[in-house]
Amino acid sequence: MAAKIVICDDDQGILDLLDLVLSEEGYQTIAESNSLNVDGIISRETPDLLVLDLWMPVLSGDQVLHNLRNNTATKDLPVIVISASGDGQTIAMKAGANDFLAKPFDLELLLGRVKAMLNAA
Amino acid sequence: MDSLTNGEFNFSNDTLKQDFELLTKALDASLSGIIITDNQQPDNPIIYCNRAFEQITGYKRSEVIGHNCRFLQQDDRDQRARAQLREAIDQGADLVVDIRNYKKDGSLFWNELYMSPIRDTQGQVNYFIGVQNDVTRRKQAEDEIKGNQTKMEGRIEERTRSLKENEEYLASIVQTVRESLIVLSPDLKVLSVNDHFIHIFKVSREETEGKNLYDLGNGQWNIPELRKLLELILPTNNPVTDFEVAHDFPHIGKKLMLLNAHRIELEGQYKDRILIAIEDITDRRAIEQRKDDFLSIASHELKTPLTTIKGYVQIINRLIANYQDEKLKNAVGKTSLYVERLNSLIGELLDVSRIQSGKIELHQEPFDFDEMVAEAVDSLRQGSRSHEINVTGHTDSQVTGDESHIIQVVTNLLSNAVKYSPGQPSIQVHLSVVSDYVKLAVTDQGVGIPRDEQDKIFERFYRVGDTQQRFPGMGIGLYICAQIIRNHEGTLWVESEPGKGSTFSFTLPINQTREGGNDGR
Repeated sequence: MAAKIVICDDDQGILDLLDLVLSEEGYQTIAESNSLNVDGIISRETPDLLVLDLWMPVLSGDQVLHNLRNNTATKDLPVIVISASGDGQTIAMKAGANDFLAKPFDLELLLGRVKAMLNAA
Repeated sequence: MDSLTNGEFNFSNDTLKQDFELLTKALDASLSGIIITDNQQPDNPIIYCNRAFEQITGYKRSEVIGHNCRFLQQDDRDQRARAQLREAIDQGADLVVDIRNYKKDGSLFWNELYMSPIRDTQGQVNYFIGVQNDVTRRKQAEDEIKGNQTKMEGRIEERTRSLKENEEYLASIVQTVRESLIVLSPDLKVLSVNDHFIHIFKVSREETEGKNLYDLGNGQWNIPELRKLLELILPTNNPVTDFEVAHDFPHIGKKLMLLNAHRIELEGQYKDRILIAIEDITDRRAIEQRKDDFLSIASHELKTPLTTIKGYVQIINRLIANYQDEKLKNAVGKTSLYVERLNSLIGELLDVSRIQSGKIELHQEPFDFDEMVAEAVDSLRQGSRSHEINVTGHTDSQVTGDESHIIQVVTNLLSNAVKYSPGQPSIQVHLSVVSDYVKLAVTDQGVGIPRDEQDKIFERFYRVGDTQQRFPGMGIGLYICAQIIRNHEGTLWVESEPGKGSTFSFTLPINQTREGGNDGR
C-alpha cells in the first residue's frame, strides 16, 4: 500500500505542486493550506510523513511541529520542513524536524529525501 | 671748628668769617643743588647757588644769580608742579615737588625740588631755600615701570577678553552639537549639561545641574551599565568610546544610547572632571531593524512563488524529456537558468540583511583552495561561452573557512569580469602563495573603474556613475564578497584603469583556525 503523506503550506502554488509531484510518484497525498487543521488530519489519517511549511498565518510550522512532538501518538511522525526563511533550518531543527529543505528546492532532491525518510521509518 | 659746639654753630665775631667759609664749603660739598632766593626783592631772585646746582643745571653761577628760578623751566610752563610751587610761595609753606627743568644745553632733567621758606621774627617770609636733586634716572625708571604696568594691564585685559571669547566659542560649540553632553565632577555631580541634553531627556537645567548624576529625576540615571562605565571601566580605560547603554526612562521611554566618556587627566582645576557625550541611536537601530526585517520578509515572499515556478519548470523538463523539439528544450533550459539567477539575486539580498545584522553563519572546515577555484571556473565556463578563462599558478594549500561562501566570492568576481568586459574575451585567474596567505587575482580587460570610485564599489547598493544603463545590477555583489573575505580574516581589493580593465584580488590566511587569527575585530 502506498505511503500516506500530508502536505501543509499556506501558499496554494507550492501546495498544488507538491500534491502533483508526490501523487505522480505514487504516494497517497492529503494537501492542506490551513495549519490549524493539520492536527486533526494527522490524528484522523495517521499518515507516514508530513511535509510542513514554516511561515504560516495564525499557527506557524514550528508550533505545529511542537504540538506534534508533545503528543505521544505523533511524537515520532517523520516531518520534513520546507522554508524560504533564512533561519528556517535552525528553527525547524530546534522544533524537532527530521529533515529540512530550503525553498526553492530541487524536486528530485525532495523526492529523494521523502523516499529516504519513509524507508528509514 | 671751635665755633661748632653741641652740634650748633656759635657765631661770635671772632669766628664769623671762619664759620661762614666752613658753611659755604659744606654747601659746595653737597651733591644736591642748593639755592637761596630773596623774597624781599621783586620777583624773588636767586641770591645764592652752590656748586652742585651749577653741575646739575649746566649754568654758571654768574648766569644764575639775580634770576627768578623759572628760567629752569624754559618754555615748559604748563606743569602742574608749577602751580603747586606758586601756591607754596604765596602761602610761605614747605613743598617737595617733582618738576621738569631744563639744563643750559636744553636737555630735560627731572628736579626733585625741596622748597622751604625762611621767616623773620615777625613771621614774614624773607628767603626761600631750594634744594634740587636730579632724579631723571629715577623718574625714567618710574615711567618705565608705569609704562610696563600699563602695557601689562593692557595685556591682561587682552588675555581676559580672549579667554572670554574662547569660553563663549567653546560654549557655542557645546550648545550646537547634536549630541547630549554632560560634565561631571569627580564625585559624579552634574556640573553642566548642554541644550541638547535638556531637549532630549526633557528635563530642566535647574533640576539637573548641581545634582548627583544617580539622583537625577528620581534615580532614572542610576543605570547599572552606566555605573559600570563610570566606576569600573573609566578609571582604568580612559577615554571610553562607543559604550552602549540601553535604558527605559520613565517619561521618554526606551532609549538606546552610545556613550563616549572622557576623564580629564590634565593637572589643574579641571582634573578628574568627566565628560560624557551621549548619542541617541534608538531611532537609527529601529530603522536598521526594520530594514533587516523588510529584506528578510521580501526575500521570503519572493522565494515562495519562485519555488512553485522552479518546480513546474522541472516538471516540464521531465515531460519533454522524450520530445525531439530542441527549440522547446532550449526555451525550458533558459527558463530554469534564469529562475536560478533570480533565486541567487534574492539570496544576495538576504545575505546583505544577514551580514548587516551579523547573523551570517560561517562553517569552519578546511578545504583545498585550488580545487575550489577550479570548480568555480568550471561552472562559469559552462555558463559563458563568450569569454575564455585562463587559470595560472597554484597554491597547493588548504584554507579553513566556509567553502560555500568563498566559492560565492570567486564566482562573483569571475561573473563580474565577464559582465564588465564585453568584447574583451580574455580573463586571467592567477593563484599564488604570499607569505602565509593564498592569493587569487581575477584580471579582465574590460571597462575598468575610475580611481575615485574604487573604494566605493565595495559599499552596499553602490553603482559606479552611469554603469546602471549598460550593466544593470543591485550593487551588492562586491559588498557581500568584501564582507565574506573580511569574515575570513582576508582582504579584497581592486586595481583598475578605466578603459584598460580591472584586477580584483583577495587573500586568505592558509590553514589558520579562526580562534588563532580572530582578535575580535
